[in-house]
Amino acid sequence: MKQAKAILAIGLVVLSLVAASAAHAVPAYARQTGQECIACHVSFPELTPYGRYFKLTGYTIGKPAITSAGINYMPFALMAQAGVTSTRHNHTTDPDTGETVEVTEKNNQFTFSGASLFLAGKVTDYLGGFVQWTYDNLATTGDGTPGGHSGIDNTDIRVVGRYSGPGAAEPDLIYGFTLHNNPTVQDVWNSTPAFGFPYTAAPLANTPAAATQIDGTLAQQVAGLGVYAFWKKTLYAEVSFYRTADDAFSFLRAGQDTGTEGGVAAVKGYNPYWRLAYSHDYGPNSIMVGTYGMLVDRYPSNLDQSTPTDRFRDIATDFQYQYITDPHTFTAQATYIYEKQSYKASFPVTLSTGSGFGAGPTPANPDDTLRTFKAKATYYRERKYGGTVAYFSTIGTSDAGLYGTDAEGNAGRPDSSGFIFELDYLPVQYVRLMLQYTLYNKFNGASTNYDGTGRNARDNNTLFLNVWVAF
Amino acid sequence: MDRMTPVKPTLANPCLRLLAGVAALACAFASATVVIAQGTPATDADSIKAGADKAINLCSTCHGPRGVSTSPEFPVLAGQQHDYLVAQLEAFRAKTRAEQIAHDFMWGIAGGLDDRMIDAVARYYASQPPAPGRPGDPALIEQGKQLFDKGVPGRGIPSCATCHGAQAQGLATFPRLAGQHAKYVRKQLEYIQGLVRNAPVMHGVVKDLTSAEIEALAAYVQSL
Repeated sequence: MKQAKAILAIGLVVLSLVAASAAHAVPAYARQTGQECIACHVSFPELTPYGRYFKLTGYTIGKPAITSAGINYMPFALMAQAGVTSTRHNHTTDPDTGETVEVTEKNNQFTFSGASLFLAGKVTDYLGGFVQWTYDNLATTGDGTPGGHSGIDNTDIRVVGRYSGPGAAEPDLIYGFTLHNNPTVQDVWNSTPAFGFPYTAAPLANTPAAATQIDGTLAQQVAGLGVYAFWKKTLYAEVSFYRTADDAFSFLRAGQDTGTEGGVAAVKGYNPYWRLAYSHDYGPNSIMVGTYGMLVDRYPSNLDQSTPTDRFRDIATDFQYQYITDPHTFTAQATYIYEKQSYKASFPVTLSTGSGFGAGPTPANPDDTLRTFKAKATYYRERKYGGTVAYFSTIGTSDAGLYGTDAEGNAGRPDSSGFIFELDYLPVQYVRLMLQYTLYNKFNGASTNYDGTGRNARDNNTLFLNVWVAF
Repeated sequence: MDRMTPVKPTLANPCLRLLAGVAALACAFASATVVIAQGTPATDADSIKAGADKAINLCSTCHGPRGVSTSPEFPVLAGQQHDYLVAQLEAFRAKTRAEQIAHDFMWGIAGGLDDRMIDAVARYYASQPPAPGRPGDPALIEQGKQLFDKGVPGRGIPSCATCHGAQAQGLATFPRLAGQHAKYVRKQLEYIQGLVRNAPVMHGVVKDLTSAEIEALAAYVQSL
C-alpha cells in the first residue's frame, strides 16, 4: 500500500514537472548549442562521440551565455531526483544491544533525494566548464543524525585549443587544461569511475565498504589540475595532478566536511594521474581501449598533516564499445582497477600503539590489495526505452585490522560482488524513470553471516525506483 | 547528482568559499566579450577558408573528414551540390526541416550560421571529392538501378535520373545521391513519404514507392 502511494506520488511529481517545464525544458548546454540532449548523451551522463568532442573542446561549441550584444541564455540548469529505496531485509540485530534495528532509514518510503544547480556553459571560444552544487536531502551528520545538506558536486573547468595542420580535414590535435575536483570526472569515456555505471544509485541503501582511491573515494575532496591532448581523434593522453583542495582551491570542496576526523581527504603534495586511450569510430560503432591510474600519498588522518602518509597505487584498464543508430543503441563498458595499498604510516603506528592516526586506517598488514572489476551493457530503443545489466566485484587481501574478523575468527576480507539490473523509460529527454535492482552475491567479505549477526549478502539486495528530471 | 556524495556539515565556512568560486566563474561569464563569429568574408578566398574552418572544427565531428561520414545516421556531404546544401542549412535554421535528428542536431548548429557562413560551408563541401560508392547486394542494386533510371511508368513514378542526374550526381537544388549512406536515403524517402520532411515535388514522386523499392534505390545510389 505504501509503495502504491509512492508510485502515485512519483507519477504526480513527474506530470507536474513535465507540464511546468515543457516550454524550455532543456539544460544549459542544450540552450548553448541549440541541440537536444541526445546529441551528446546516449542517456545522461553517458556520452556519444559528439558529446566527447564537446567536452574535450571545453564545452565551447555554440554561443557564449553572455556577449557584448546581451544575454543569449542563462547558464544555469537544475536537476532533481526522487525515489523509493526498498532493501530486501531491512532489519538486523544490533551487536551491542541485541535489539532489532533498521539497516537504513526511510525504507520503502517515497523520498526526495536532492537537487543540483549547475552553472554551466561556454565563456569564450577557449574557456568553458560546469560547476555542480548539490543539495542532498538525505545526508547525515558525522554522528548519523539525518539532515539535508548542500555542497559542491562534480566540477570541471577547461581552457582549450585546437591545431589543424595544412590540408587537415579534421583537427589534428585538441588540447587543453582542466581544473576539476574528482579523479576521472574529466574523462570522456564512461568506463572510468566518476561517470561510470550506475549513474544513479539508491541513496538509502546499504553499500559495500571497500573501494579503491580512484573509484570515488576522493570525489569532491581534491583539486585536480590536468593537461590533455587528443591526437587525430584516435589517441588520448592526459596527465593530471591531485592536491588537497585547500587554500585557493578550497571552492572545489566547498560544503564538504573538512573539520572532523574522517572528513574529506588530505593528500600530500601533487599526486599524479595518467590516462592513455585509443579510440576508433567506424560506421555507427565507436570503440575505446585504455588505461589509467594514479599514485596517492594520503594522510591517514585528514586533520593531521604532520604524519607520514600511506601510499595507494591504482592501475586500471578500461574498454568501451558503442553502437549508436536510430532506433537502436547498444553500449558496453568495462574496467578493471588494481590497487596496491602500502600502509607506510598507518601500519607501524597501529603495530606499536594499537590504533591509527586519528580516524585513519588500522591495518594488520603493511601492504594490501584491492581489485575492482565492473562491466555493464545497455540497450536503448529510440533513446526512450532502455535496459542495463551490470556486474561489479571488489576483492582484496584479508586484513583483520581493516575488515575485522569473520564468524570463525579469520581475518575479514573486503570482498563484495553482485549484479545490477536496470530498466529506464524517458518519456521526454529530460525525464528518466528508472527501476533498478541490485543483487549481492557477496557483501563486505562473505555471502552469509558477513557481519557476525547472521546477516547475509542478499539481505542487502535493493530495489530502487527513481525519477530524474533536468531542466 | 549522479555521484551525489553523502556530505557532512563542515566547521569551516564553505558558503564564502563557494560564493567566491561561483562569483569567479560568473564574472568570467559576465566579462566575456566574445561575439559570435559572424563570418563576413570579403573575398572568395576568405569565404572558402571560413567555411573550411567551420567544417573542419565542427561539422567533421559527425559528417567526417571532408564530409565523408562513417555513421549512416549522418549524411555524406562530400561533393554535395552547393545550392542543395544552402537550401537545407537555411531550412534547419528556419526550423522548417524538422525530422527528429534534424531537430535534435541541426537546428542548433545551423542556428549559429549567418548567410555568408552557410554559403561558405556549402562551398567547402561542394568542392570536396565525392565519397566512393560502397558495394551491396548485386540483385538489389540492379533493381534499384532500373527504378532509378526508368522509374515505374505504369504507376506514374518517373525516373530519378531526370532530376538527380544519370550518375545521381545531383544538380543545383537536386541533391547528389551517389555515395550516400543507404540508411540515410531510405529514412529521408520515408520522411518525405510521411510528410515529416516537407518536399512537395519529391512527395508526389515517391509517395507510392514500396519499402522494397526504397530499399533497392538506397542500395543503388550508395553503390555509385
